[in-house]
Amino acid sequence: MKRTVDVNIPLGPIHPCFKEPARLKCETRGERVIGAEVELGYMKKGIERIMKGRPWQEVMFLAERVCGICSVIHNMVFIEAIEKISGIEVPPRAALLRVIANELDRMQSHMLANFSYCYTIEHETLAMYLLDIREQVMDELERLTGARVTCAYIVPGGVRCDIRNEDRDTLSASLDRIEHDLHRYAKMFETGPMIALRSKGIGILTEESALQAHVVGPTARASGIAVDMRTNHPTYRKLNFAPVVRHGCDNYARVMVRFDELSASIGLIRQSLRALSPGVIRGGGICKAGTLRYSGEAPRGELTYSITTDEYGRVAEIQIQTPSIMNIEACCHYMIIGVDSIADVTSAFVSADPCIACTER
Amino acid sequence: MTEWLYEQDLVSQKYRILIAHEHDQLIRALASDLGVSVQELRRYMIEHIDMILLENIPARYKAAVAAGADADDPVARELGRDIFSRGIPLIPNQQMEEILKKIKERIEAGSPVPEAVAAGKAMVREVILR
Amino acid sequence: MTLLQRIKDLVRSRSIHVSYVDVGSCNGCDIEILACLAPRYDIEQYGIYVHNNPREADVLLVVGAFTLGWEEKLKMVWDKIPEPKAAIAIGNCPISGGVFDRRGSYVDPPVSKHIPIAAEVPGCPPRPTEILSAILSIRDTVFAGWEVKQR
Ligand code: SF4
Repeated sequence: MKRTVDVNIPLGPIHPCFKEPARLKCETRGERVIGAEVELGYMKKGIERIMKGRPWQEVMFLAERVCGICSVIHNMVFIEAIEKISGIEVPPRAALLRVIANELDRMQSHMLANFSYCYTIEHETLAMYLLDIREQVMDELERLTGARVTCAYIVPGGVRCDIRNEDRDTLSASLDRIEHDLHRYAKMFETGPMIALRSKGIGILTEESALQAHVVGPTARASGIAVDMRTNHPTYRKLNFAPVVRHGCDNYARVMVRFDELSASIGLIRQSLRALSPGVIRGGGICKAGTLRYSGEAPRGELTYSITTDEYGRVAEIQIQTPSIMNIEACCHYMIIGVDSIADVTSAFVSADPCIACTER
Repeated sequence: MTEWLYEQDLVSQKYRILIAHEHDQLIRALASDLGVSVQELRRYMIEHIDMILLENIPARYKAAVAAGADADDPVARELGRDIFSRGIPLIPNQQMEEILKKIKERIEAGSPVPEAVAAGKAMVREVILR
Repeated sequence: MTLLQRIKDLVRSRSIHVSYVDVGSCNGCDIEILACLAPRYDIEQYGIYVHNNPREADVLLVVGAFTLGWEEKLKMVWDKIPEPKAAIAIGNCPISGGVFDRRGSYVDPPVSKHIPIAAEVPGCPPRPTEILSAILSIRDTVFAGWEVKQR
């Protein structure tokens, strides 16, 4: 296809606004962006290839290192897939502890995403506030799981360590504090006139194109599509989880969906803390052979593992479909088309919360 | 010899995306559906589709199938209009519509549906092999 | 040591510009570098500024197990940084390849094959405080008296 373009502006791979290397080649006419092409390949490590033929004990750690930001959910989806294949039951206390770890992870990821967005639109005050409360969430995650980022908390049949009673109290106390602060920052974002100028009506992703690119996660929920894999998860069902949906379709809606989900996550953690009954945290079982396609809801959307295992619990075939693949695609082929200036390209790109490490694996 | 300033030759990296398990299966299925060799289809994709779209191909294909591609038009479904032009943008929309129109004319002129669809597939194949 | 040199050292010790480049990591180390920006660790109180511009950087933080896409580019980034400069490898990935250095993967560690590395911070990922102290220790060993050492 031939098109008249004025200038082809490349952004990246090293760019002040991008956390990770990606190269966006924007075709512009005047200031208007009429198309974009993404060039990846800076992060292709071939994780799926090294996972093949290894026992789950090793793949578990590799799965965590697909993405460092949402490591808990990668761990959880992989382990739950293995459990489903082998028919291993999880004790109720462990299932709730998984939810707590997962929601804490989601909170820190969403805070990081909103931090990046605020940083990109040059609202550094709010960005720093968010990064500050993120540290508190990281503390809680560390207290629960023993590590800040790659914690390997979830193992087949349960979780690795229990939550102590005094930690429960600190967790709920700091949740109160975080919620109070968060409420204030969300209000700041919601009502900031300058923020609205940079965010409202920019980076439109209509419902139709969202469906075509199979967009997932907060990006889809901001376009009015109520997809959330948590509604299929048995533990979340017990907690009466309902997804957050907005219809704004723009940058503002996407960031606000994340703020709303943060409050929802706090609610979920409180509920599971209340429902926590004493009991064992680890069951047992034997890993079996089988094939399964299993999805879970990562902070960025639906994460799917297609796994084939053999009778020794080794992974014979694996394919990971991460949410960022779909979201970045939608972002580059629909969202940033027609934005008024190059400055909006970065903010639209960051508002979809891209994670290149997941995308390329 | 071309000298790359920033631009790298991306063929090998795009190829790496295409040989992942799910991509490979899908591309084999599509290639046998269209009647081209796997290598030809890969070459066409590498030349015409950018990297993120390549990564997204299985998801887009599934979304297109789940959305009931061309449920209302059996001829278009047989040809795979939605899948090949919108789900996986192998062929520009317009060109696909033209091909569809041509085979519809044939059907009206009295040729049986499978034969006409096969002719349409041949046209698609021509675009890819060109 | 001349007076001029002492002034230069003093100024340099309070103004370190940091750029980071991700050559195929899992993002775990990236976010720990970002966490250094947080008010809790407050990287700017030491005069360290993180902004991703190699052309005005003094310290380059390298994250990740060298992927093939970076083959010529990392060297280019390194050449763009003005002297005096130093590169720090953050995490196990750039040091040895970490979990990714297996048969069949697309990485080519260690990074020290491609650019000179002045310091290494092991850990998967290291804590933000460790990253901070690595940058601060580089300041005294590499940048102090740089002109004298050149002679
Ligand atoms: S050292 Fe560990 S945490 Fe850091 S990038 Fe490598 S795998 Fe990720």
